[in-house]
Amino acid sequence: MRRFEYHAPNSLEEVSGLLTSLGDGAFILAGGTDLLVEIRERLRTVKHLVDIKKVPGLSGITCSAAQGLRFGAMTTAGELAAHPGLAQLYPNLYDALCALASIQVRNRATVIGNICRASPSADTIPPLVADGASIETWHPDGARIIPLAEFFTGPGRSVLRAGEIATAITVPPPQPGSYRAYIKHGRRKAMELATVGVAVSLDTKDGICTAARIALGAVGPVVLRAPQAEALLVGTRLDPKTVTSAAQQAMLECTPISNVRSSADYRREMVGVLTRRAVQQVLEVAA
Amino acid sequence: MTKQDFRIVGKSVKRDDVIEKVTGEGKYTGDYHMPGMLFGKIKRSEIAHAKIKSIDVSKALAYPGVKAVLTHHDVPRVLHYGSPHPRSASCTKDQYILDDRVRFWGEGVAAVAATSEEIADEALDLIEVEYEPLPGVYDIDTAQLPDAPLIHDVGPGGNLVIPPVHVERGDVDKGFAEADLILEGEFAGGRPTPTYMEPNVCVADWDGSNKLTFWTSTQTSFMVRGALAEVLGLPLNKVRVLVDHMGGGFGAKQDLFQHEFLCALLAKKCRRPVKMEFTRRETFVAGRSRHPFKLWLKQGFRKDGTLVAREMKVVFESGAYGSHSPGVTNVGTASATSLYRCDNVRLNGRAVYTNTPIAGAYRGYGVVQTYYALDIQMDEAAEKLGIDPAEMRLRNAVREGDIAPSGHPIIGHGLESCISHGVEAFNWAAKKGAPDRLVAGRPSARKGYGIGCEMHGSSAYPGIKEQGNATVKMNEDGSITLLTGAAGLGTGAHTALAQIVAEELGVTFSSVSVVHGDTDVVPWDIGAFASHTTYMVGTAAKMAAAELRARVLVRAAEKLQEKAENLEMVDGIITVTGKPGTSLTILEAMGPSRGIPAEHLIATGSYMPTKSYSFGAHFVEVEVDTETGIIECKKVMPVHDVGKIIHPIAAQGQVEGGVQQGIGHTLTENYVIDTSNGRSLNAGLVDYKMPLSMDMPDIETVLLEAAPDPGGPWGAKGIGEDPIIAIGPAIANAVYDAIGVRFHHYPITPEDVLNGLRAKQKDGANAGL
Repeated sequence: MRRFEYHAPNSLEEVSGLLTSLGDGAFILAGGTDLLVEIRERLRTVKHLVDIKKVPGLSGITCSAAQGLRFGAMTTAGELAAHPGLAQLYPNLYDALCALASIQVRNRATVIGNICRASPSADTIPPLVADGASIETWHPDGARIIPLAEFFTGPGRSVLRAGEIATAITVPPPQPGSYRAYIKHGRRKAMELATVGVAVSLDTKDGICTAARIALGAVGPVVLRAPQAEALLVGTRLDPKTVTSAAQQAMLECTPISNVRSSADYRREMVGVLTRRAVQQVLEVAA
Repeated sequence: MTKQDFRIVGKSVKRDDVIEKVTGEGKYTGDYHMPGMLFGKIKRSEIAHAKIKSIDVSKALAYPGVKAVLTHHDVPRVLHYGSPHPRSASCTKDQYILDDRVRFWGEGVAAVAATSEEIADEALDLIEVEYEPLPGVYDIDTAQLPDAPLIHDVGPGGNLVIPPVHVERGDVDKGFAEADLILEGEFAGGRPTPTYMEPNVCVADWDGSNKLTFWTSTQTSFMVRGALAEVLGLPLNKVRVLVDHMGGGFGAKQDLFQHEFLCALLAKKCRRPVKMEFTRRETFVAGRSRHPFKLWLKQGFRKDGTLVAREMKVVFESGAYGSHSPGVTNVGTASATSLYRCDNVRLNGRAVYTNTPIAGAYRGYGVVQTYYALDIQMDEAAEKLGIDPAEMRLRNAVREGDIAPSGHPIIGHGLESCISHGVEAFNWAAKKGAPDRLVAGRPSARKGYGIGCEMHGSSAYPGIKEQGNATVKMNEDGSITLLTGAAGLGTGAHTALAQIVAEELGVTFSSVSVVHGDTDVVPWDIGAFASHTTYMVGTAAKMAAAELRARVLVRAAEKLQEKAENLEMVDGIITVTGKPGTSLTILEAMGPSRGIPAEHLIATGSYMPTKSYSFGAHFVEVEVDTETGIIECKKVMPVHDVGKIIHPIAAQGQVEGGVQQGIGHTLTENYVIDTSNGRSLNAGLVDYKMPLSMDMPDIETVLLEAAPDPGGPWGAKGIGEDPIIAIGPAIANAVYDAIGVRFHHYPITPEDVLNGLRAKQKDGANAGL
């Protein structure tokens, strides 16, 4: 492993100051489950690691039907999955957390680390995007609340400015009549990067779909929404024919690439299958 | 073989290394640290085929902490084998430690020793190499073109590693003329790698007498000693190779690797110990994979299913160097004489160089590839002839007296026993006869059942005339020490050897300890490979124990004033037949007394085996998702005949591990090389997909003692390689049973499944017109 300088600041001010002054070679260390592997395998050149574990106020989870969900930057995937109420209120996020890597990695990896890594295949992003989550950030010039759907600008890239730190995620409370699902597709059952990940969140009233949000992972430079497919669902009773055409529409709205994991054609085809299955899963829960 | 009452053999005694392994106290090569030790790293080429025009190490040498840099200018230029088997049938010398030319992307071009691993790694970037690119060859077909660029100027010509292997028996043309059904097909396989847990690692240290001590993770310590001594110009007693615990090898750690020479040379140059340890990435680019292959198979059958003719042509892709290609080509080609008996066979095997990473030895050694084809085509024939696939195999199964690939007669009816036993235990007929292939609760899934068979030899005879040796000592307190050169890859081989010694000698298992892995101390050994350790070294250990036992009984007979043939020894207690109450402990018989030292008791067994064959039949249930193309292996029943089971849990462990690797080969594992430039596309565990615990099916292993072989201890035969062979075709055949799509290659990806289903639908639609 290449050598790097290790910093352990005590406040957000210090973290921000270090990131600004140290420049491009400085990275935040939280769980480190991805970063350290990248350093070891020389996929990322790191000169400085800024460890945020000593910064107060970055942990803690609140989760309730009334207030929704909020968790801090140091919250691990394992901790969040085990939090009371999460599996009931956000089964899509719960499934995504449980699909992430392995138990050992989940006990170390932070959810916000998974998000800020900005991989299009990150498991936790599609369900959070589909549920309208926002990310809270801190910067000496002022804090921001950014809708997660607008956070990513490309693979590994986000709208975070130099010296800006993601501090928390908030998710609105689930509305009555709303349902959600996330399906991950990979070759293995654990320790797997999604070939495709599809999250579907639907609001219904009296059996009619009033709003639909479909988020597609690993089929574009960022996690994508499929607005036209969503539009096909809204106002319907989500009958099989409608669901099939929405799934077909979602296939047209993604922009997958071919690589060693899969061909673009296969990914596109899976967007169709998984979108349909995710809606079906939602309908089964609703019924 | 006639012994009936076993006290230790056949029982799952506690392995002697269990505690040190679970507590982490077991010492692996990577655990060795020495004062003043340096760390070595290898600069690897970033081009697949090129001449090195110049190489400038001045900046690296000037980097603080760097102690030495070696290039092709600084190392002995000795042409050597990759696979160091002595006098092996047909090895090609085609490697230099460092050459002025690179032949694959990732080949070492220079080596650095520095005071830390980090500094050595950083210094690699400071080495400037100027290449003159050469046209490359990245696949089997291109390598065989008449105008293909040549990768070596040694060898029989073209890009052939060895002259083609030709095996012919009977009259093939006559056989085909008598056939009612002739099937012909092309098959191919990817590039699985063994992915052992412990990356390659070695530590080299020279003493003041110019003697090299070399710790390394190897299956073949004496081969490492031999090749190091030969290339470095040293007598064998000036090279001491040590290996204690190993984190797996699966065959690949039989080669003498480039880094092993370089580590020794760096240590010599610096006069300090040097450690070199592969990263996981290096275990891919600089490790050894299974040989990718292409195969054409044509077979003729009579209406009753009898095989009457077989013709096969196979080409193995060796990568940039020959390594084990001679062995793999010979064994893989010859293996197709058998499994399913056929009097008329014509087989042709080739190995070709390409500018890709080196293929070497890997569990199943060429047989995985050829039997994949044989067993899939057997299924196709069964269907065409309307015969149940298991019945079809039973009719053709190799049996007592048939001539084995090695040229000598098969002993017993092992394969037939495995098939018959599995048909019953798996409930084959009922499962295959089920009216549909639907899966409850999964409308898009289909289930299917498949069978695959295998046989595999213990020992590399006749390619290599092997020799197993053992020394058994009795200490003056009656405890026993077994000295063996057999490596412990993690299989439990040393436990099995200790069981054999204890059983034969008549002492308790706990009174036997094993010393291994030091070439200056233990008897010579060819290495742990070819499924032969229990079979061959086990026999040598049994011979040594028998001699020791005889000497103990002679001494005891004197003390008891009885005839030695009337004495029995069990658990270290010597008794007289028919005289209850008269007994001696081993210590009383042999120990020191009244100032007289104990008798010096040491016995040696040396055994040169021919070969035995183990057999297996795997029964598999799969589920195929027809929308995603994902194949899940749900249940496997591997039935293996091993002649005599020495340690049931260890044998079962071998089977389960083989099944896991075989599932990986067939469904997910493939080390992919970009065929436009020779670069690795997934040299790491993120994108090289081994099945993990959650992907594993329910495995119900059945071990049979159906066909004991007189060449092994009490009839025992090998089990190391067998379990990886039959699982592949069993899965492919089960997939066909589930969805009606035939695959002739591995791995079978989800995308292949969907494309196959589409093609089938199209064919169906066309047929409907």
